[in-house]
Amino acid sequence: MKKNRLIRLSVLVLMPLLLLSCDKDKNNTGYNYMGSQDMYYSKFYKAYSSNPIFRDSMTNQLPVEGTVARGHMPFPYPGATLAERAANQALAGVNVTNPLKADADILANGKAHFEIFCIDCHGKTGKGDGHLFTSGLFPAKPTSLVDTYVQGKPDGEIFYVTTYGSISGLMGPHGSQIQPYDRWSIVHYLRELAK
Amino acid sequence: MIISASAVKNHLKCKRFLLLSGLFTFLLFTQLSFGQTAETEANFAVCKACHTIGGGKLVGPDLQGVTERRSEAWIIKFVQNSQALIEAGDQEAIQVFEENSKIPMPPNNLTDDQIKDILLYIESGGKVAASEVVVVETDETVASQETVQAETPSKSVSGRKDIRNMQITFFVLLVLMLISLFDLFVTKRLKAKWIHYIIILTALYIGGEVIFVEATSLGRQQYYQPDQPVWFSHKVHAGQNQIDCMYCHFTADKSMHAGIPPVAVCMNCHNQVKSGKNTGESEIAKVTEAYNNRKPIEWIKVHNLPDHVYFNHAQHVEVGKVDCEECHGVVEEMDEIAQVEDLSMGWCIDCHRTKEVQFVNNKFYEQYSKMHEKLISGEMKKVTVADMGGEDCQRCHY
Repeated sequence: MKKNRLIRLSVLVLMPLLLLSCDKDKNNTGYNYMGSQDMYYSKFYKAYSSNPIFRDSMTNQLPVEGTVARGHMPFPYPGATLAERAANQALAGVNVTNPLKADADILANGKAHFEIFCIDCHGKTGKGDGHLFTSGLFPAKPTSLVDTYVQGKPDGEIFYVTTYGSISGLMGPHGSQIQPYDRWSIVHYLRELAK
Repeated sequence: MIISASAVKNHLKCKRFLLLSGLFTFLLFTQLSFGQTAETEANFAVCKACHTIGGGKLVGPDLQGVTERRSEAWIIKFVQNSQALIEAGDQEAIQVFEENSKIPMPPNNLTDDQIKDILLYIESGGKVAASEVVVVETDETVASQETVQAETPSKSVSGRKDIRNMQITFFVLLVLMLISLFDLFVTKRLKAKWIHYIIILTALYIGGEVIFVEATSLGRQQYYQPDQPVWFSHKVHAGQNQIDCMYCHFTADKSMHAGIPPVAVCMNCHNQVKSGKNTGESEIAKVTEAYNNRKPIEWIKVHNLPDHVYFNHAQHVEVGKVDCEECHGVVEEMDEIAQVEDLSMGWCIDCHRTKEVQFVNNKFYEQYSKMHEKLISGEMKKVTVADMGGEDCQRCHY
């Protein structure tokens, strides 16, 4: 009888310790009702899920070569290799002009996108004093966007560098991140910034 | 026993506490501000459509510290009729007008004393004053909700510590309860029956709580924080390096998905930066390798909604102007990304009911101009997402 009570008491004392010892597993998504049999997680290929149908096993596919998406203008100055970039950058500067007019809306749009995509290296004022450089994280000094070197270039050339990156290779291509409309807005905003 | 009970109920208690504190502030403010500032608050409600106190620029400038920037006499003139002041050629007024995209501030039919009261009200401070307005204007339940919103800091991962795995506890208690039931009716070894009762009642109570908590979290995955293939730290990138969320998640304002950045985006910086703060070269080497081999990194998705719910990032980021932080917590303090909200339907609807629609500079809401007119004329105090059908089932389930 006494032994029985002792066991019970010791269980009571140990219980809180037991509770404190087990965290929820951070890698576990937990349970759900019916799981994959139900509508909860149905079996279709989602944007980022792998896909056995395509050779590169990705659901998101690049557009077929030579096609132009609705609402997009083709930009026929490829810049995948250094040689292409050296030839096409000046060409784009001569042949392509900014399709947008610099009104208040466009400038606001340009500013908003400048402060997301450019500010880290080129800084708020465009002088090349962004946080990534001044804090010593990025080794190379970014180009000033308000000096004559950049401002002397035509709109098309600035657009080209934003799209495919600089010839030095220090600035990466931002064409996939920023839509053409927003890139042209940024070009307008750069002109405004230099004033 | 007491410890275990509190462990289960921790997050329930947290809600109760906030509700109580909401009630308390409600009582406090009604006592303090009754009569004296009620009129000022009603007057300031008009200003609130375009101005904040310490909350940043809306249509007009932030009013915090306005009495230090401008003279009182000038403010009174400007508030009563700003256009007249501009036409009279007042340099300060013209400057303010042009700084704020030339949107004129409508004239206000207020006396000098009323404006002075409003200025005192602005001086008395930003957020506290703002929640006072809400508390007095609305009924009790809404008031407590609003205060909960204002007082709850943005969530971080540390919340996981409050929620424990109660499986073992549950089964131990179940066994204990069955033993004591068996002893009570069959073996009758223990003469002191109160021991049986205490064990059975506590087991029922805690067991019930566990069942309730576990059942509500069924299908939710709050604090899910999977190990990623690359030890990537948001704390370093978004926090210390101050990179904007949308530099990498660049489709958040244009697409249903916020977007997992392709490795090429990493290479914009990591073609030069080859050594990291926490892991040295080992993790960045994985990224470089993935880039060179043209093989995407298989990140593990953290925020999973069930497939019978439709959620669109563009609608919330671009149209709704919701900050990333409101749903994803303080990401810039997380080394490993975790889901901090439970993403339950109740959580969605709570926000749809309280979130006020931002009409200004928002092309999407031009079709709702009638509601905006009602808001300006004062016929509606505020327009929430729910007023525009944000509570309809087929908005998210179809």
